[in-house]
Amino acid sequence: MELNDQITINAPMARVYAALNDPEILRHCIPGCEELTQLSDTELQAKILLKVGPVKARFSGDVQLDKSGAPDAFSLTGQGNGGVAGHATGGADVTLIADGETTILTYDAKAKIGGKLAQLGSRLIQSTSKKLAAKFFQSFAEALDAEKVG
Amino acid sequence: MKDDITREERVAGLKGMGCSRKRVEDARFTQGKGNYVDDIKLPGMLHGDFVRSPYAHARIKSINIDAAMALPGVVAVLTAKDLEPLGLHWMPTLAGDKQMVLADGKVLFQGQEVAFVVASDRYVAADAVELVEVDYEELEVLVDPFKSLQSDVVLREDLVAEDGSIPNGAHGPRKHPNHIFTWEVGEEEATNQVIDNAEVVATEEMYYHRTHPCPLETCGSVASMDKVNGKLTLWGTFQAPHVVRTVASILSGIEEHNIRVVSPDIGGGFGNKVGVYPGYVCSIVASIVTGVPVKWVEDRMENLMSTAFARDYWMKGKISATKEGKITGLHCHVTADHGAFDACADPTKFPAGFMNICTGSYDIPVAYLGVDGVYTNKAPGGVSYRCSFRVTEAVYFIERMIEVLAIELNMDPAKLRSINFIKKEQFPYTAALGWEYDSGDYQTAWDKALAAVDYTGLRAEQAQRVEDFKAGKTRKVMGIGLSFFTEIVGAGPVKNCDILGMGMFDSCEIRIHPTGSAVARLGTISQGQGHATTFAQILATEIGLPADSITIEEGDTDTAPYGLGTYGSRSTPVAGAATAMAGRKIRAKAQMIAAYLLEVHDDDVEFDVDRFVVKGAPERFKTMKDIAYAAYHQAIPGLEPGLEAVSYYDPPNMTYPFGAYVCVMDIDVDTGVPEIRRFYALDDCGTRINPMVIEGQIHGGLTEALAVALGQEIAYDDMGNVKTGTLMDFFLPTAWEVPNYETDFTVTPSPHHPIGAKGVGESPHVGGVPCFSNAVQDAFRPFGNRHTNMPHDHWRIWQTANSLGMHG
Repeated sequence: MELNDQITINAPMARVYAALNDPEILRHCIPGCEELTQLSDTELQAKILLKVGPVKARFSGDVQLDKSGAPDAFSLTGQGNGGVAGHATGGADVTLIADGETTILTYDAKAKIGGKLAQLGSRLIQSTSKKLAAKFFQSFAEALDAEKVG
Repeated sequence: MKDDITREERVAGLKGMGCSRKRVEDARFTQGKGNYVDDIKLPGMLHGDFVRSPYAHARIKSINIDAAMALPGVVAVLTAKDLEPLGLHWMPTLAGDKQMVLADGKVLFQGQEVAFVVASDRYVAADAVELVEVDYEELEVLVDPFKSLQSDVVLREDLVAEDGSIPNGAHGPRKHPNHIFTWEVGEEEATNQVIDNAEVVATEEMYYHRTHPCPLETCGSVASMDKVNGKLTLWGTFQAPHVVRTVASILSGIEEHNIRVVSPDIGGGFGNKVGVYPGYVCSIVASIVTGVPVKWVEDRMENLMSTAFARDYWMKGKISATKEGKITGLHCHVTADHGAFDACADPTKFPAGFMNICTGSYDIPVAYLGVDGVYTNKAPGGVSYRCSFRVTEAVYFIERMIEVLAIELNMDPAKLRSINFIKKEQFPYTAALGWEYDSGDYQTAWDKALAAVDYTGLRAEQAQRVEDFKAGKTRKVMGIGLSFFTEIVGAGPVKNCDILGMGMFDSCEIRIHPTGSAVARLGTISQGQGHATTFAQILATEIGLPADSITIEEGDTDTAPYGLGTYGSRSTPVAGAATAMAGRKIRAKAQMIAAYLLEVHDDDVEFDVDRFVVKGAPERFKTMKDIAYAAYHQAIPGLEPGLEAVSYYDPPNMTYPFGAYVCVMDIDVDTGVPEIRRFYALDDCGTRINPMVIEGQIHGGLTEALAVALGQEIAYDDMGNVKTGTLMDFFLPTAWEVPNYETDFTVTPSPHHPIGAKGVGESPHVGGVPCFSNAVQDAFRPFGNRHTNMPHDHWRIWQTANSLGMHG
């Protein structure tokens, strides 16, 4: 499964980059995120309640960040396990381009999904993932917007 | 004494053979009064549910059951470690292999049973399943049998010796750790020689996809161990209850008389309920451990992804002929994907079932069949979904090869079949691959079928349609699907047919009651076939008591005589024969009683419909009702009281039903949607017991054939995920997709069967699949199509049209 999109965020690039590395903002913006712990500068651990079609499950997973492209690109890889509900591995490349006071964020994600999720949700996964990604970036953009207003 | 009714009325009153008697089962089925496994509710009963593997191939590093056990209502969580001391963590399969009951260190297919949760109700069990933490280490997945045979990844480490050598399997030498067996029939060298020197040769490769019987009722069992009297009762969805009892006794060490296996009403089997599943074993163990009854019933997803699949055959054929179209030789090689464990349900000596019936209905002088079984990371099984052992594969293969040869010869495929039929006078006919066909009259059936549909007219219409399509006047093409099939059913003679060493005879036990009614018990078990209706009809004709006065019972091993169960269209050929034979024993004793009552010699009375009459004086008679009463309540010198009989029937041969099918289809090339305009099915199942039940069987078998040919499949992605695990993705036809069927028949009785019957439940499926497929392929033949693989769903049909340049 592949996901990619471009979104404009109403904040300068440095702020967007910092926010993408801020566990508190991420926890707030990731749909269904119940816990997000930073284990080190490049490792995160998360618990997410996810619902895809008829499958609803708590996924626990870890994410490794690759910050070598900072400050205008970074990538992440991760894997998540939802027990009987299924499992997923994947990664994403994110690039940021400054556009005056705003930032254009582009992401390109790939994922492999297995277990019940893949069976029951196969026809829903693409659309659900798109929706979840959109929701994340919408919340993310809103969070940074609110900061500005505040 | 004079009768006030005519002989015809007496015959009609029996509702015996040939009568479209209404099904006696339907009163309860149509009123929701059936009694299925899930209807069984016992006091204190617990419920089991499986933790199943989300991975297709992984090592199990740990299983933590603490959180699950802490959930209120959870009584036990069984893992392989708990079953190991009992020797039940693995179990034998029907194919001579063994299979994990619960994952022993690794999992080999998605959906494999890992742990069994036992809880106070189904919901608690399901919740607890989610709390069992299993730590998996993913391994490389093999879903392609050809890659599996090349791979360094060993799927079954238990089948490789410590020094790395590969021990023989149940069916001889193995070539690779992931190889199961090679099975060869016929003469390869002679066949190759004929093909190499032939005037015309057609070759084709075809994949008969993996599908699933998907009965409406999923599999399940209720085990109840009574620790006080030491008796285990097991209710379950078993197509072969007596086999289950014997296997359960051997595995558990409980003596066979202390095990009672009951198959209650079964909501369809189609082969899916022949095998023994981990759920049965776990429910028994759980009941023994807890001392209370334990129920296990799988859900639809579990049924589709873990219980026995069907087909998954990669077939490669070569067929040779003279320029005039006389077939001279046939070569077939199959790579058979058996999944993670070899759990095919075939008679022991036939690891690829009766695939060697692949010479079909044709007189082919020399032939060869080779089959290689392969392990992959898919669910085990390989049952015969609504067919005798692997016969759908064989018939699909030959009926496609005939079509491809017709293209090669530029000949009409109906004519090519006619040229090559085994002729009426050649029966009994021994085929190149060994089977002795008992009887047949193929040409008569074929001519009747072609005339009924006006075959010549259809071909003319099709030619016109091709012109119209090319001229842009229509976007629909027309296909004429033909198939002529010969089934091989009624397994079978004990000399060459057994399952796990158990001979495939069958049985019937009759007890006549004093007032002239009866109960008959059989070793088979109906799953919807209507045994209670049809077997009573056989008996009515044989013993002269009305079918309505005869109760048929099956499926309870405490009362029914031993038999090998119902699958492979064996009930009528084997148990039906036993029924007739037992009936004749009743009649023989009745004859002596009648002679005594009529004060004549035994030889001076003869049977007439429902009575014995004095020869030459039909006004002097005793009805079977009179005789039954006298058998019990009159002292007859030299005769024991009572009127009972039992017959165990070991058939001398298989039976060979056949049929001629034609399907006319219009296909919209832009949407890929096929529209079945006409389906004509002529079946010859020998003597017809109940024409209405036959027609029902044919409608059902054709509908399942339509399903398989036009969309039904178990598909895996390269990670071994089952992509078709629900009825959203797994095609089950409804009234919407099903066309009108026209049924017809000829009657060629089996010469060796007591009543000449051959079995019919599976014929329409066997003949139907190639017929639907051939219709699709025939529609594209004028545009260059030679062969495309099933299932022909809309998307694949559209792709065919597209690849032939029909989208402009």
